[in-house]
Amino acid sequence: MTSLSTISVSASRKRFDRFGSELARTQGADMLLSTDGFPARTESLVGVEPVAELIFTDKTTPDDAKAFCFGTPGLSFGFISYDYGMLLRGVVSAKKHGGPLGHLRKYAATIEFDNGAARIQARSASLARDLAAALERTPNADPATAMPAFPETPPAASLDRAGYEAGVRETLERILSGHTYQLNLSTRFSRRCPGLDPLALLLALRRRHPAPFYAWFSSGPKRILSTSPERFLRVSDGQILSQPIKGTARLEGDRTVAENLLKDSDKESAELSMIVDLIRNDISANSEYGSVRVENHKSVFAVDNLLQMYSDVRGTLRPDRDCLDLFFDAFPGGSITGCPKKRSMEIIEELEPHTRNVYCGAMAVIRDRRNMDSSIAIRTAIFDVETELLDFFAGSGIVVDSDPAREYLETLAKAEKFLSPEKT
Amino acid sequence: MNILLIDNDDSFTRNLEHLLAASVPGATIEVTPYARLKDADLETRELLVISPGPGAPSEYLGYDRVFSAEKPILGVCLGMQIINERFGGRTGRLHGCVHGKTDTLFMDGAERVVARYHSLHVTEPGAGLNVLAANRDGIIMCLGSRTQRVIGCQFHPESFLSRDGGWFIDFALDYLGLR
Repeated sequence: MTSLSTISVSASRKRFDRFGSELARTQGADMLLSTDGFPARTESLVGVEPVAELIFTDKTTPDDAKAFCFGTPGLSFGFISYDYGMLLRGVVSAKKHGGPLGHLRKYAATIEFDNGAARIQARSASLARDLAAALERTPNADPATAMPAFPETPPAASLDRAGYEAGVRETLERILSGHTYQLNLSTRFSRRCPGLDPLALLLALRRRHPAPFYAWFSSGPKRILSTSPERFLRVSDGQILSQPIKGTARLEGDRTVAENLLKDSDKESAELSMIVDLIRNDISANSEYGSVRVENHKSVFAVDNLLQMYSDVRGTLRPDRDCLDLFFDAFPGGSITGCPKKRSMEIIEELEPHTRNVYCGAMAVIRDRRNMDSSIAIRTAIFDVETELLDFFAGSGIVVDSDPAREYLETLAKAEKFLSPEKT
Repeated sequence: MNILLIDNDDSFTRNLEHLLAASVPGATIEVTPYARLKDADLETRELLVISPGPGAPSEYLGYDRVFSAEKPILGVCLGMQIINERFGGRTGRLHGCVHGKTDTLFMDGAERVVARYHSLHVTEPGAGLNVLAANRDGIIMCLGSRTQRVIGCQFHPESFLSRDGGWFIDFALDYLGLR
């Protein structure tokens, strides 16, 4: 095994963001861009010059992923699709998958940023020095962020209003018959966007709607634009943190009033509590007995003009397990499946005409056996540079007292930044 | 104590495992999926636990050998409903269902705050089963038989919403003559 050269330099977030954006533009770098002030804030990351990659197929096993991530030095970054999660959980699908089931990369160099410091790790000392010098030359200014123009044509939806509301009604019937308690139902919007500059779109969205887990990743002709506010699983030296989000309200009027209304809603509280119990379960399989606990239950933060409720679920990774055991056992995240997970995923597969692909999967940074972080890839779009189709998705958690019309409006609210970005 | 926890593809089973580990010092708990129940070793167990799960007892026809094993049985939610139907009881839809909410019961000499997740409920207890708790609407929340050594709860002691779920495990072990 070769060791990596490491250089740390101080930098402002602005300078780092601009540096990363320029590397994405000029060198095809992949990025994870976080923002301060969110409960799920994480280390930002830029990866340049891929040296190895793992493209997931239906034959790829979690052990293959472990060998890839842990077999050579350096962190791994990429996505694992919801569709791969279906294979893990034994949920059968006859639908055709669009593209790989996951894609992880290792890089000649990575630059991570947190708390005013950039840490450059490279496979050669000269590459590390070159990147440090380039970072210091980068202007201390926001990246250019003009919002690209969108075509006039409206997007096509896999489930339109009538279809989505019918799906909600069918879900309610499945809840009454005891097959699910809560189920996340999504729709996919597809829009032809000739000449769209997807990187510009992502950066412009980030400027207007900051969130802790923005990510940019190239996979073949696909560009992943993830603007997620939600952490799936973080493991820091074996300490596990998941921060499921459930409960949504429009951020309008007095924020304190709106927050209290959200927290006092029996429906929204029950939605969150169910998922908290589900996440406790999902981390418990790989956690030490007695270590799993819930903190900050029903906390609220604002993102995308919405108030979102979340909780911290914590545990301690068993000494005989690694973070990918935990990740793959708990994947896909409970907040976007429903509960109980397997049966809910089977019903989702039946009710949704589209495949979720990256959406509701995860963007993940895997550092070593006991250190990783990952998002739930919601508020996520995929742009295909060959077909020029922009696919984006939105969904909502359905519980027994859900109203079909309201749930449809909630999905529209979550899709808003991709539906009409120039207006938001 | 050697415990076999049968998982009906539920998403709370591991919570139940952790609760049992915390409440029964020195317990070894093996979790087996319902699909592999026919191969599970029951002989060496001192307690068999039937997990919650989706659907109705009639969808789970593989429990014969569990009830023939002559071992104490604890069932949670669907697990309780499976026990109940084994004794000839009935299950039906619960008007309005309750998911992810707490209820307060009076049981074992005290008020108990417990979590509820259920769309179905016991509409008629099986022969020889005693109702050990019901809520203020009369929904059966716990039933069992000391002589048959079975006990089930409709609520979820393993939920973080239940205040001190370990109390119920203690109660169940006493009831089953395991303490």
